[in-house]
Amino acid sequence: MNEIMTAFLLISTPGLPLLLAIPALRLPLPWSVHIALLPATVLLFVPGSPAIKLPWILWGGVGLGIDEASRWWLAMSVMIWIAAAILLRTHADHSNNNSPRLTTLILLTLAGQIGAILATDMASFFTFMTLMGYAFVSLMILDGDKKVHRAGQLYLVLLVFADIVLFEALLIAAASTEILEFAAVARAIAQSTSPALYLSMAIIGFTLKAGLWPLHVWLPPTYGSARPAVALLLWVVPVATGLLGALRWMPLGVISAPVPGALLQAIGTATILYAVLFGLIRVQRKLLPAYVAIVATGGFVMGLGTGLIYPAVWNQYGSWAPVFVALVGIGLAIMIASFVWLEKMGFSSSVSNNVSGVVLWIERWPKATIIWKRLSGIDYVPKLLAAWIARWGELWQSHAWHRAFDVGEYLLQRWAFALTLFLLLGMVSVVLLLP
Amino acid sequence: MTGAFMSIPWVVILIMLPLAGAMACFLYPAKSKSLGLVVALAIFASVSGLGFQLVELGAQRYTVGGWGAPLGIDLYVDGLSLLMLAVTALVGLGVSTYASSYFDHPKAIHFWPLWLFLWSALNALFLSADIFNLYVTLELMGLGAVALVALAGGANALAGAMRYLLVSLLGSLAYLLGVALLYHSFGSVDIVMLSQHIEPSPAALAAVGLMSTGLLLKTALFPLHFWLPPAHASAPAPVSALLSALVVKASFYILLRLWLEIFPLAGASFGQLLGLLGAGAVLWGGIQALRQTRLKLLIAYSTVSQLGYLFLAFPLGTSIAWKGAIYMLLSHAMAKAAMFIAAGNILRSDGHDRIADLDRLAQRLPLTVTAFALAGVSIMGLPPSGGFIAKWMLLEASIRSGQWWWGVVLIVGGLLAAAYIFKVIGHAFTQSEQPHEAGLLPTRMEWAALALALVAILLGLFTTVPFALLEIGLPFDKGRAG
Amino acid sequence: MSWSTTLPLLIVGSSLLPGLAIFFLSEERVVSRTILNLTGAFLKLVLVGAMLWGVSHGHHYETRLPLLPELDLVLRAGPLAMLFVTLSAGLWLVTTVYAIGYLEGSPHRSRFFGFFSLCVTATVGVALAGNLLTFLLFYELLTLSTYPLIIHRGTEESRRAGRVYLIYTIAGGALLLLATVWLYTLTGTLEFTVRGFLSELDTSLHPTLIIIFVLLIAGLGVKAALIPLHGWLPQAMVAPAPVSALLHAVAVVKAGAFGIVRIVYDVFGIEFTASLGLTLPLAILAASTVIYGSLRALFQDDLKRRLAFSTVSQVSYIVLGVAIVGPIATIGGLVHLVHQGVQKITLFFCAGNLAETLGIHKISEMNGVGRRMPWTMAAFTVGAFGMIGAPPLAGFVSKWYLGLGALDAGQSWVMIILAGSSLLNAAYFLPILHVAWFKAPPDSWPMERSFGRHETAWALLAPPMVTAILVLVLGLLASAPFSPLEWARLITTREFAP
Repeated sequence: MNEIMTAFLLISTPGLPLLLAIPALRLPLPWSVHIALLPATVLLFVPGSPAIKLPWILWGGVGLGIDEASRWWLAMSVMIWIAAAILLRTHADHSNNNSPRLTTLILLTLAGQIGAILATDMASFFTFMTLMGYAFVSLMILDGDKKVHRAGQLYLVLLVFADIVLFEALLIAAASTEILEFAAVARAIAQSTSPALYLSMAIIGFTLKAGLWPLHVWLPPTYGSARPAVALLLWVVPVATGLLGALRWMPLGVISAPVPGALLQAIGTATILYAVLFGLIRVQRKLLPAYVAIVATGGFVMGLGTGLIYPAVWNQYGSWAPVFVALVGIGLAIMIASFVWLEKMGFSSSVSNNVSGVVLWIERWPKATIIWKRLSGIDYVPKLLAAWIARWGELWQSHAWHRAFDVGEYLLQRWAFALTLFLLLGMVSVVLLLP
Repeated sequence: MTGAFMSIPWVVILIMLPLAGAMACFLYPAKSKSLGLVVALAIFASVSGLGFQLVELGAQRYTVGGWGAPLGIDLYVDGLSLLMLAVTALVGLGVSTYASSYFDHPKAIHFWPLWLFLWSALNALFLSADIFNLYVTLELMGLGAVALVALAGGANALAGAMRYLLVSLLGSLAYLLGVALLYHSFGSVDIVMLSQHIEPSPAALAAVGLMSTGLLLKTALFPLHFWLPPAHASAPAPVSALLSALVVKASFYILLRLWLEIFPLAGASFGQLLGLLGAGAVLWGGIQALRQTRLKLLIAYSTVSQLGYLFLAFPLGTSIAWKGAIYMLLSHAMAKAAMFIAAGNILRSDGHDRIADLDRLAQRLPLTVTAFALAGVSIMGLPPSGGFIAKWMLLEASIRSGQWWWGVVLIVGGLLAAAYIFKVIGHAFTQSEQPHEAGLLPTRMEWAALALALVAILLGLFTTVPFALLEIGLPFDKGRAG
Repeated sequence: MSWSTTLPLLIVGSSLLPGLAIFFLSEERVVSRTILNLTGAFLKLVLVGAMLWGVSHGHHYETRLPLLPELDLVLRAGPLAMLFVTLSAGLWLVTTVYAIGYLEGSPHRSRFFGFFSLCVTATVGVALAGNLLTFLLFYELLTLSTYPLIIHRGTEESRRAGRVYLIYTIAGGALLLLATVWLYTLTGTLEFTVRGFLSELDTSLHPTLIIIFVLLIAGLGVKAALIPLHGWLPQAMVAPAPVSALLHAVAVVKAGAFGIVRIVYDVFGIEFTASLGLTLPLAILAASTVIYGSLRALFQDDLKRRLAFSTVSQVSYIVLGVAIVGPIATIGGLVHLVHQGVQKITLFFCAGNLAETLGIHKISEMNGVGRRMPWTMAAFTVGAFGMIGAPPLAGFVSKWYLGLGALDAGQSWVMIILAGSSLLNAAYFLPILHVAWFKAPPDSWPMERSFGRHETAWALLAPPMVTAILVLVLGLLASAPFSPLEWARLITTREFAP
């Protein structure tokens, strides 16, 4: 009985938001986002580490469960989601009529994020993370503000690259082990001959997702101009889940990988330095959370790097990582909420309008390529083929060719010619027949 | 019952019945249509009877009037003759059905006697067992065919008929010369006797050369094919069908018989020459067909091209090659008859046969276009059709014997055929600039075409019976490796 | 005449006979035609289901008809055949419903549905073929029955497109015929045998076998749209949308890919092919096609043309899976046969819906169409993400196995190809989704047809929804019994077992 309850609870935690995401199903329900969070809240208070395995899904070995680390994550997520849901309701009245789509996307993001937290193996984690990523990007693009729009497009490109890199990493992991549960993977990678490739891919993938320097440029504009609910979610959804992924996917505490570890430390340090030097000093008030987030991310990554180099250190202090993330998340949420309250009180703050050059460049370059290609028509093979076919067609049409055949037939029909041929054939036959 | 059934001299009936029918049609012109149809059905039944007899008793000889070889007339039936008779009967039945609706009264009076006379000559040709008889029937057939070509009236038809007549006589003359030489050298005209006594003396070889040349002229092998397109294109549709399907095949049949029975003494290079000319016919005919703008001329050149395939069996010489060539002959007969009948339908309905102006014919005359398409499938050698089976066998023979270049000719010929067939079909689905009205044709005319085309397709699926029949009498193993 | 000898023939006949009957119906007999169509489709599905049940319980089904001396026409049910036959039968039903809705009020429907049924007959025959001769027969029949569908509209443009189609396919068929006859003269048999029947031949014949292999791949590669033989595919887009859907997802392209699978596994045998050194060139050819197709797709503005080039790219995954010598890659290639079919047909159905309801043919006209036709675009989104390889959709499962198989077989360069191709797929599908969902709609659509409260006719809407759900189910429940993945595993264990 207990098992069925646990199973039901675990499945409905990501499952309910998914169901509610279909517009037709939630029409009669007023507070759909809040309702969708119910199973997750209940799960928070279930003791122990319940986990289930799901048969028939993908290629087997898929499961959902909750353990110590993910409980912190889940707690932070639930709290921030509830806050976001409340903010959403209060702002829903004076936003444009995107409401149904907005709610659908929010629910999809929620489903993906909570599912990613609950995933116990790499495949389901990847699945939920992809769902969450694309849904969140759609949220960013849906926003009316141009800057957020651009940031969303940039993040989409990063997301696509990240997903591809992570897929490759997933394949490498699967090549070394049948079961894709995190613990098993960590052991397998530790035993494999070259964990470096896997580690570098995982690092690159999660760097792209979590907004580490130098690919963090999409974070500040989004914090600045998105609606508060989305800004609130920025830490929880892309960044924190990315960090969770890094945490899970890398075999921390099991092996010592100095080079990737050092790389991570370097990135982390660079992020913090950049954020402090360029961000916090010149920043407007509204963008402050962005740079705080970046700093926090950098710090976390530094910790990860250290853990990679010194597994013993990780084993000792690693359990603080989720706590850290949760605290940062709550802190950011309070910051943003206070800004919203301040705004309501009338202290508005303007956000500067200069868009990052990188963003513009990334946005313009692919479009330009495509337009240039179309205009210049560099389709070599079709052009060659078309030219060749045209020449063949000309050949077919050319009068010389037809005239040759006409003349041939004409000649053959002249009696003199025909008779000559006839007699010739007779003679040739006889000659050929002679031994 | 079976005993009596078996002892009926079907061979005699097959020759006498159409003759009697011809005379009856001549004497009672008012009833010629129904008489013609009845005779066609009766001949079909007789062929079936002969078939049963053959399967039971094997190959048979029948002496006419008790006067056997070497001076009398013997009639000989084996699997090959039976198949030729069967094809003639099927095509004849189809064309008769078609002609009964096609020709209106004045023409019909002339058509039926001539056609039944031609049929009689064809049957006799396929049943002959000596080379002089073959000459006689060949001449009679030629005369009948010429007269039928001229039936259309008009300058074109008469010119074509005249040319055909002269060509026919020339060919027969050469053939007769050869017969004379052989008779002089070996004292017999009977094929079996000749095959036993013949030796490669100069006279015999000269005879072989002459006879072959004459027959090649009559079979319209490239480059002696010049008379065929005008004759076949300007004749009325049923006549074109008969000519392309049956008449040109008759002279090929004679060549085949002689080659198998009497000519094993011929050197390999003659076979190569025939193959070379056949390849030329395939390519020349195919390209010419592609260039045509009128449908009937396209089909006539297609005949030229397909006849070339038949000659590819000569350089290959194996049993598979012969079987393939004969199968090609059978399916081509059915398919070509269907095509010409379809063309006749189009001509009757639209008043012209320009290919570019076919204008959505697929909607207006769907059965006709289907018939054309199915016949075209056999001509192209695409499955499932008799043409495919034949192409397969010829390809197999050419690869097995190492003379792969004939295989290349086969493939290229198939591509050319696909080009001109689909040219027509493509236009039949497309709208042209001048819209045409929906035609009204008697259903009999459309169904005749479709039935013939279906037989060509079915020949590709039910192959056991023809192949089993070919084994009776086994003409392929004498002298040449199987 | 027992059940086991007639069932394959019945399956082939279940679309042939209704097709022939439909030809004779006049244009106005809509109800009779619909009844015949749907009855045939349901019957075929039922019969295929019966055969599936039988095969999984170890029954043998084989029909033999003598065709040539010593060569028979053979229809046999094996796991590989069942994979393709089930795909064809299932998707035919869906496409029939769609076509009925799409061609509402169009001229020449009887003719269309007649040839449509013939096309499916040929496809099922290709699937069930038990030797190379039967395969060739139905393969050519497929060409013949799809040509009238392409030129159905009766315009000059469609005639020219049909001509291009014929040039490619008839030439391919000629090469296939030549290679088949040649092979027959060498071995005396053409039966499909697991692990091939050529490995015992004398080594002096190996160069000949290499040439035959090249000819076979060339002949089949025309239909499977391998470069440089793919030129007919974008041209054939002039056909009505149900035709494009069927051609690209089920019939023609899949028949070519299926043929390549048969040649490599059941004629040559994968070990033998590898020992002849033919698998690497084939893999390189397939990989080049994957990249080339995606590149060309990137630069198209016409929606159907973009989808056409996407097909060129995706079908080569199957060939890639086949050419990588390893069981896991084989599973990936085989399962992609099914998954790509379902995904592609969804996309084409949606494209057809857009064209039919709103007159949209180009992506630049698709602004904001997600608001006007949300269900259609939702199905399109599912299909597009499946193509990109996003989990848990069907395309993810097949890409997974392909990548894993490449790693397993030591061909790591394939991973780069897969990555690049996923990137390109995202590059040309995501902009479509972006334009459709997030841009503002224009004031008026090019040519709008109103369907009342619904976004479009139910017969046009239900098929893409069904196939989109199928894309999700095939990916999510991939390990369920009777899933294509399980069948692919079954086929592979037989091929690679010692």
